[in-house]
Amino acid sequence: MKFNQIKLMFCFLAMMISPALVFAADNQQQQFEQANKLYDKGQYKQAVEAYNQILGAGYQSAALYFNLGNAYYKDGEIPEALLNYEKAHRLAPGDDDINFNIRLANSKTVDKIEDAPEFFLSKWWKGFILKYSADGLATTAIILAFIGSALLIWYFFAMAGGVKKFAFFSSLFFFFVAICVIVIAASQVNYFENNKQAIVFTSSVDVKTSPADAVSTAFVLHDGTKVSVLGSNGGGWLKIELANGNEGWIKTKDVKEI
Amino acid sequence: MAQVTKTTVATGEQFELTFSVNGDAGSFNPPDLNDFQLLSGPNTSNSMEFVNGKATSSSSVSYILTPVRVGTFTIGPATAVINGKKMTTNPIKMTVVKGRPVQQQSRSMGGGGGDVQAPRNADLSKSLFLRADINRNNVYQGQPIILSYRVYTRVDILQSQVTKLPDLTGFWNEDVKATGPASFRIENYKGQRYNVADVKQIILFPDHAGNITIDPFEMNFVARVQASPRDFMDQFFGGNVQDINYPAKSLPVVVHVKPLPEAGKPAGYSGAVGQFSVEASIDKTHLKANEALNYKIKVTGSGNIKLLKDLNPQFPADFEKYDPKMTDSVKESAEGVSGTRIYNYLVIPRHKGDFTIAPVTFSYFNPSTGKYVTLTTKSFKINVEKGLNENNVTSLSDDDKEDVKLLNKDIRYLKTGDADLHEEGDSFFGSAGFYLLLLLGPILSVVAFMVRNQMRIKNADVVGVKSRRASKVAAKHLANANKELQANNTQTFYEAVFKGLYGYLSDKLNISYADLDRDKITTALRAKSAKEETIGELLDTLDLCEMARYAPVTQISAQQVFEKAKRIINAIEDEI
Repeated sequence: MKFNQIKLMFCFLAMMISPALVFAADNQQQQFEQANKLYDKGQYKQAVEAYNQILGAGYQSAALYFNLGNAYYKDGEIPEALLNYEKAHRLAPGDDDINFNIRLANSKTVDKIEDAPEFFLSKWWKGFILKYSADGLATTAIILAFIGSALLIWYFFAMAGGVKKFAFFSSLFFFFVAICVIVIAASQVNYFENNKQAIVFTSSVDVKTSPADAVSTAFVLHDGTKVSVLGSNGGGWLKIELANGNEGWIKTKDVKEI
Repeated sequence: MAQVTKTTVATGEQFELTFSVNGDAGSFNPPDLNDFQLLSGPNTSNSMEFVNGKATSSSSVSYILTPVRVGTFTIGPATAVINGKKMTTNPIKMTVVKGRPVQQQSRSMGGGGGDVQAPRNADLSKSLFLRADINRNNVYQGQPIILSYRVYTRVDILQSQVTKLPDLTGFWNEDVKATGPASFRIENYKGQRYNVADVKQIILFPDHAGNITIDPFEMNFVARVQASPRDFMDQFFGGNVQDINYPAKSLPVVVHVKPLPEAGKPAGYSGAVGQFSVEASIDKTHLKANEALNYKIKVTGSGNIKLLKDLNPQFPADFEKYDPKMTDSVKESAEGVSGTRIYNYLVIPRHKGDFTIAPVTFSYFNPSTGKYVTLTTKSFKINVEKGLNENNVTSLSDDDKEDVKLLNKDIRYLKTGDADLHEEGDSFFGSAGFYLLLLLGPILSVVAFMVRNQMRIKNADVVGVKSRRASKVAAKHLANANKELQANNTQTFYEAVFKGLYGYLSDKLNISYADLDRDKITTALRAKSAKEETIGELLDTLDLCEMARYAPVTQISAQQVFEKAKRIINAIEDEI
């Protein structure tokens, strides 16, 4: 939350530069609140429409995707809900509410897929890099860099030896931590870019062993199942992998990428 | 123990042989009964009695036999293991006498035509024999063969009994149901006219390729033959007939079964031989999830229709499929087996969507052309709408996984307040603003570093700096004196100069103002290695100032004293 406040401050600075943009964002915020009210009244379809209008205007945020997912969920559209939850998760990977709703919506889908066991270090690393959002980490890195710079400046002008030494080493420490934070943020961005995922939207779809209709069916998936996209053959087929490690080919039109 | 109903029998007469045992009989080995013809048996019977709580059991094995030859025969001992002990029955001596021809009044089979005359005293085997006929003896595997057992006779048959049917190993067989009682017809065989009757017709489907032998078929007849007349009367009345018991046996038949050709054998061929047509149908194309759908495949034709395997139609994997119900309406006739087989598949789509039931291919071998034929049914498009309550069907679970039930739990509530909306694709991390802000601190540091270095360069001009600083120090301490000098207050001027110098020295040498005196100043300055001239000049000026408090100073002007004091401070600043 601290980060957000600082980010707000930066946003404020940015707002000074581009007042037109600020005005538009303000409008969207109003629309967002309007949509929340519709949701509260139980008018989920209208809420979905209102949220989608904000998205249509080119704006996005974790909260927006999350709320849209909620509205879809309440409307009974589990695959859409999951798609939006996952989009929210990408923007705010450490958000508990989002992760909870993903789990709950997943329990409503048809396919129960058990995760393949993962090496504990890679799991731990994944949890670590996904703990905070990339933007939050970026803000932290900036603050750390500022503190480090201040200490360095102090080091340059300090007279007494002990103070100088302290300023120098603490400055080094802050710069080091800042670099670590940037590395984490970069790995997170990289992770999301390399881990393309998709949600199955067709209520029942045959996953084939190779990208053709005539070949045998490897397994059947149902709507709402999340798959990892490994690649595509360029001809309307995607190679997918399930959480349990099974692979197969699916038509592009049967899934929506997160 | 062994028993027979009579020990003296005539040929053609039946008798019963019984072995009875008290107690549990283990393994029972009957004696060799080759000298007799077995009519029935072994017939086993078991009985168990409870008398005063004590159980006794007895069992018996009986045979009904008839002698075949005249003479004396011995029925050998039978052995059995009873209560762990090996027991042997007593042998029985049988005397067989030539039996009188049995007078049979009833005729079980339709009588022989009067036009067939048996030659007198002729060998009966020429006028009464059995044949096993097959309609073809060079067939493909699975191609039906009609096997007919026929009686050829030129004599009257009074009684007939099938004694042995071959077990037809190597064939799958199907009896042709007789339309009525076997009736005789007249047929020419090897130039002779015979009364012929079909005893039995069987359709055979060879199981495997190779030469398969059909074992002989055996029957027992009682035939009436003309006996040589003993006297005129007999001849006159024509009543001189003899009834003879005659066992007959057909010859074994060999069938050459060719394997089905490998060339052109379609994939998925499952052994159908004959001529067929296939047709698929479906009872509806629009339905809701979880409703049943009937898919029917009808195979019509002649051939080994009863041996057809499941056609395994490919249903969409998401359909629940049940085993097919097969309905046969098949007619076996002397021409072969023909009819219809209907496979009825019950399938239940579990989820909505558009599905296609793939066509079924059915291939058969046509033995008349020697080629394989492949037939394909129609495919069906099925539209499944969302059902009332779609079950959660686990399609990918590897084991029985227990679902974690979140009871009465709802999704978490909306995120309210500031949505933190930003333009799509513009994440803060990696943006120009981010790099700018990130580099701002280090840039400031670099600027600061450069500023400091500039300052250091300036500070490197040590003399200039020191003198600048010293004059500042002197001016500070002598500010009061300067004021008095301007006001021309000579008396107070000297006092101010003195105080100024003392103040300066107190600060510089870190000695309290009250403790300062000439000696201390001298030693302290010497300790700091100030020049002797400066020390001397300082002491002179201090003396002058002290003196000037009591007497007017003439040899030096106040302005000169001020300048001198200033110079001394500067010198000390320089030197220390």
